[in-house]
Amino acid sequence: MSAVIAPLTSAAPLICGLIALYATIRIVCEKNTLKKLPHLNVMNFAIAASIALLVNHWLALIVAVAYFVGSTLEANAIASAWSGGLKDD
Amino acid sequence: MTPEFLLGFIILLIGTVSAAFPKPKTWLNRLINIEIAAWGLMLIMLSYNESLAILTFVAVTGISTFVLVRVIERRSDI
Amino acid sequence: MTDLILIIFGLIAVIGGLATAINKDPFDKLISLGILAGGAIPFIVNRGYMDVAIAVALTVPVTTIFILLICRREIT
Repeated sequence: MSAVIAPLTSAAPLICGLIALYATIRIVCEKNTLKKLPHLNVMNFAIAASIALLVNHWLALIVAVAYFVGSTLEANAIASAWSGGLKDD
Repeated sequence: MTPEFLLGFIILLIGTVSAAFPKPKTWLNRLINIEIAAWGLMLIMLSYNESLAILTFVAVTGISTFVLVRVIERRSDI
Repeated sequence: MTDLILIIFGLIAVIGGLATAINKDPFDKLISLGILAGGAIPFIVNRGYMDVAIAVALTVPVTTIFILLICRREIT
């Protein structure tokens, strides 16, 4: 049982890291600013999953939750400021 | 030579060069490029085993960004 | 296996730093700064400083929102 789970656990952060690297290359190659933001969200989700899977410690889950909330707030703040939604109030 | 030290040195070099010579020479580009150098210095601090130093450095970086934004905002109004 | 994933995160951080230095639009620079933060935080977690990682992950969006306060004034 443990021999089945152990390679899967060690390979899972690597797959999430490869997804994050692919999303990073997509962000850099994209020209439009508004089309960069979904790929930024993909990279943030992949890195949050990779943080939770990287270290076998219970505080890593809280770090992943904190990074998830913070990065989502950051991306939404950039999108809201780009479209100028808060300015009209 | 830990990997954090090497990566932090590369990022600190990129941030220092780009903050000293920004391409469109405005204060906003300089303020954003300083953040790259702050991340590189934080990675170099991570190479040595001082957790309280990193915590203090990150807090002071946030506060100093707030102070610089306030100063620039007041200055650009006049 | 652990070395390979650290190489991937280092590559992400270097790409984010170079993209922040090269881009000209302030919003593109802030997006690339988010990439740099995402590449640097797993190094803190891998080192074992979980409380420092929580503090860093909660401080980075506050700094970005402070810079966005003058970005909006710059565009209009």
